[in-house]
Amino acid sequence: MNTTLQSNSLWNDSALNAQDYYERCDAAGAVRPHWATVTEEIDRLGLPELRDRSAAIERFCRENGVTFHASETPDESNRPWKLSVVPFVIGAAEWETLSTALAGRTRLLETVLADLLGPQRLIREGIVPGELLWANPSFKRTYHNLETSQQHLHITATDLARDADGVWHVTGDRTRAPSGLGYLLENRIITSRVLPTLIRRSNTLRLASFFESLKDHLYSLATTHRDDPRVVLLTPPSGSYREFEDNYLARYLGLTLVQGSDLAVRTGELNLKTLGGLQPIQVLWRHVSDRRCDPLELDPASGEGVTGLLRCVRRRSVAVVNTIGSVLVQTPALLPYLDKAHQFFFGDELKLTAAPTYWCGDPNHRSYVMEHLDSLNFRNAFAVSGGSAIVLSELSPPDREAFLQRLSAKPSDYVAQERLQFSKTPVWTGKQIEPQKTTLRSFQLLTGDGVTVLPGALARVGYDQLELSRSPISGQMTQDCWVTSDVPVDEHKTLLPDSETVIRLRRGGDELPSRVAEHLYWLGRYAERAEAISRVMRTTLARIAGEEHWDTLAEVQRLVRTLASMGQIEPGFAVEPFIANLPHVEQNLPLSVLDRGQPRGLVRTLESVMHNTIAVRGRLSSEAYRIVHRATAELTQSTGATTPSGANSIGIGEAIERVDRLIVDLLALAGLTNESLVRTHAWQFLELGRRLERAEHLCELLTATLCPPTDNGKPVCEAVLEVTDSIVTYRSRYKNLVRLAPVIDLLVTDETNPRSLRFQLDHIATLFQKLPSTEGPVGLDAIKRIVLDLQYHITTADPIELSQTSEDGTLEQLQSVLEHVAADLPRLAEGINARYLIHTESRQFLTGTGR
Amino acid sequence: MNENANDDAQIRYRVRHLTEYRYSNNVAVCQNQVRMQPVTGGNVTCERTDLSIAPEPTSRDEHIDYFGNRVITFSIEAIHKSLTVDVESIVAVSAQMTTETQPSPEWETLLATSPDDLRRPMIDEHRFGSPRITPSEPFAKYAVGSFTPRRNIIDAALDLTRRINADFKYDTTATTVATTTKEAFTLRAGVCQDFAHVEIACLRAMGLAARYVSGYLRTLPPPGKERLIGADESHAWVEVYAGETIGWLGLDPTNACLVGTDHIPVCIGRDYDDVSPMRGVVLGGGTNTLKVSVDVEPIEPRERTSQASGSNGAG
Repeated sequence: MNTTLQSNSLWNDSALNAQDYYERCDAAGAVRPHWATVTEEIDRLGLPELRDRSAAIERFCRENGVTFHASETPDESNRPWKLSVVPFVIGAAEWETLSTALAGRTRLLETVLADLLGPQRLIREGIVPGELLWANPSFKRTYHNLETSQQHLHITATDLARDADGVWHVTGDRTRAPSGLGYLLENRIITSRVLPTLIRRSNTLRLASFFESLKDHLYSLATTHRDDPRVVLLTPPSGSYREFEDNYLARYLGLTLVQGSDLAVRTGELNLKTLGGLQPIQVLWRHVSDRRCDPLELDPASGEGVTGLLRCVRRRSVAVVNTIGSVLVQTPALLPYLDKAHQFFFGDELKLTAAPTYWCGDPNHRSYVMEHLDSLNFRNAFAVSGGSAIVLSELSPPDREAFLQRLSAKPSDYVAQERLQFSKTPVWTGKQIEPQKTTLRSFQLLTGDGVTVLPGALARVGYDQLELSRSPISGQMTQDCWVTSDVPVDEHKTLLPDSETVIRLRRGGDELPSRVAEHLYWLGRYAERAEAISRVMRTTLARIAGEEHWDTLAEVQRLVRTLASMGQIEPGFAVEPFIANLPHVEQNLPLSVLDRGQPRGLVRTLESVMHNTIAVRGRLSSEAYRIVHRATAELTQSTGATTPSGANSIGIGEAIERVDRLIVDLLALAGLTNESLVRTHAWQFLELGRRLERAEHLCELLTATLCPPTDNGKPVCEAVLEVTDSIVTYRSRYKNLVRLAPVIDLLVTDETNPRSLRFQLDHIATLFQKLPSTEGPVGLDAIKRIVLDLQYHITTADPIELSQTSEDGTLEQLQSVLEHVAADLPRLAEGINARYLIHTESRQFLTGTGR
Repeated sequence: MNENANDDAQIRYRVRHLTEYRYSNNVAVCQNQVRMQPVTGGNVTCERTDLSIAPEPTSRDEHIDYFGNRVITFSIEAIHKSLTVDVESIVAVSAQMTTETQPSPEWETLLATSPDDLRRPMIDEHRFGSPRITPSEPFAKYAVGSFTPRRNIIDAALDLTRRINADFKYDTTATTVATTTKEAFTLRAGVCQDFAHVEIACLRAMGLAARYVSGYLRTLPPPGKERLIGADESHAWVEVYAGETIGWLGLDPTNACLVGTDHIPVCIGRDYDDVSPMRGVVLGGGTNTLKVSVDVEPIEPRERTSQASGSNGAG
């Protein structure tokens, strides 16, 4: 066949082993019908185009921060997500059969879980060995009868692989809080963007209605406030491997993303701690482990959950998805007994089975296992989270011996599983297409109406099936799984509510958790700080580069001092005689632009901007992340030259260019937040941080530049106007006539200049009006007093008087006003911290015994 | 131990367990769970039990846990600097019908021989490890001295109980509430909690079902002295499953005896973790000081007067 021949050149699949099941072609080499369209289209695209589209995917992932953690340790850095441009394709007819089987298996797991956490008939009637439950570390007795509602599982996942004979088998059930759903969604969004024609022509089933049902289902679980329930997604603390996808899911589904520290149980109800006070939560979708849900009744060391949650569940004041204890049915040792359990509950065979699995605690199983040691994979019988299997043939003789000893000492701790072949599918490797082994993770939603299977999956591909049996977030290449239909699919399903839905109009947004307010506040501060450093740096470097005798210029000396007091360069530059440091300035100033060593320097400040942007990613437009990412990357990218100490070396010209670009990016960020954030508490905190930082910086700058005596004030004034982006305004008002009084007016007392001190303080005062207040019936609270006092000081100042010099030429009055403001601003910041931001107190445990 | 325990059909007690925390700083919120109230069952009748808390809790719930224990969960959500939990119960304890000399099954007949035998929740599940107890080889080695072939279960278990009592030193300073069973076993010392954990580990290592009982012990004042109010302590002991006829057989390794009417059980679990009398999470509070007093007072039976005797150390 012509297409087959043609495609062989591109697909590199002629050398496949006969025993491999190949997804694209049958044993005779003919393209399978459901692969025909995709094959044709990819052939038409050809290598160069595939390369381009693949690069587009990489760019998208990089710019949008689609990342994963290489491990569950939060310290490891994020790596970009890997998505192959070639999708995994499965035909609608086969999918229909598979998804019916998946639904059946999911229903079974729900029934088994309800039994184990309730009447335990499976144990009493000998279907499942009691030891599997009683010796299972995941069976915290508190889980038993905790939930009295009809349904325990809501969202589950199943790991699948196809054996050599083409039959799908389960390699693991995921009933706790399966990961991967967010990545699956992202994969689909990327492939539809990169391969729009292909995905349409192949009639790929859409995912939106699944997510819509998921959202509807979560909302339907509320037992109170049913018309407008609060549904939150609980994610582990910042830096977890869940961070990216939970942010993504929460934003896509319109749920509030919370961490344990955002929650509080009061009077037996779960609440969200917001700036406006506690707000009751009706539905909690948890992405933290069962045993970490409640330090009072479960693991006391964990801060991921919230004290008292189990009590809320018992009172039915909150619905938890999946039920706490759902982890139990992902116990590997249960796998061998699910067939019998299906027979027991439903009277017929389980359609979708696991690869044959043996629990070594069962004497019959054990004797089989001992005779087939080398053809089986071993796993801990009770390990509920991934982990690689143990393969005896891969162990050194001593390790093998040690393992066999452990096995015979405690056989009930192990399961053994037959190896599956794993089918192969075409994968884009970065250079070409080649067949690799694949596994799917499917997702199921359980509702009162039954089981809905998501029409797609997260496909993971690689050379080694052992690697593939690990967690989905472990770094392999992924594929979007397309279920392709013979008939056109409905294209118009989105998460927008249909026109029939009655919506109550609103202002504001969802409540702001105090923790998020904190990140927004610091985002504002660091972004402003980065801009301030960059501006001073740009003006300084431009003077040095442009003037032959720059070392004699007063403005250069003063700007360098400012940079030192801002923490951009060594503080010595601020105090030692300028001339002593001269030889270093010309070299070190540009280098400092790339220097991570100064904790308050530009690079580290940008890192803090990034950190806080990531933490509030769900509340900003996605462009915010892209701007910050690009800005950091462009500033710190390698210059190609190195200093003697091995650091990146950079010349003045290049440094000016980079700082200049950075300023543009930071302005874009400021513009974006200004134009895209609704004026809720979120915006107010971001703005508060920005204004406070700008006010502090102005005091610092003006004190260092304008106040000291000088013979020639003009160039100093001009430099300061340039740094503060006020030179254009100044010239439009006063032409080239530079005098102190109008400069001071423009930068200190002018309420119309967004760069003036007065403007910042007015703005801060306005922002405070809108924040939740603890103001009593009489008098002002402490924070408002400081704000009013600051405003008073600047409002009543007369620029003419401020420009008067004392005998030694110092601007004493200006200095005194600036010092007063500079002293009060940190007090204001502390007040904000104490009232709004610090919200976690130390915790202690009572045992009721003195021993 | 009271040799005539079985002569007394029933003994009534008033038990008071007072727990007082004082904090150096204000506590913003505390959430607590208390397992201090007996329930009626087995040889125990709980006539009345009151739990009062000061300051008044903001909310309070009650439920029965997996093992059948009564659990109170409460929170105090106003600023406070002390917490008092005061439990007073009236309990009647009937003598167990089991004596040291009564016939009982050979211990081997109580073992499970295949996974199919393990079908009884609440009995068979006590054969396995639990949060505080991993029944390992060293425990089996120790226990096997008592579990000689075809010995009957009462003989064997009582022998083990007495050996532990003889081999282990009662020492309140040797261990803490967090000491592991293995550590206590190595130290050959501890208090009732450790003695009970060690014995359970031994029994489970032999393949038997054994569980942990928390409660109180009646103590008698030294001759010529008044009974001191509040000088008693919480106590803990062991039960081993001895077959359908006998059921759970109570053993007190701290006092080297079978459990009788001097023992007032409150909660049952796999080990201390399942029955700890109180657990709480407190926000703020600085440092705390704790005062616990337990008072076990025999009171008049409802119908006839009877006198019980005995002398034991609680633990």
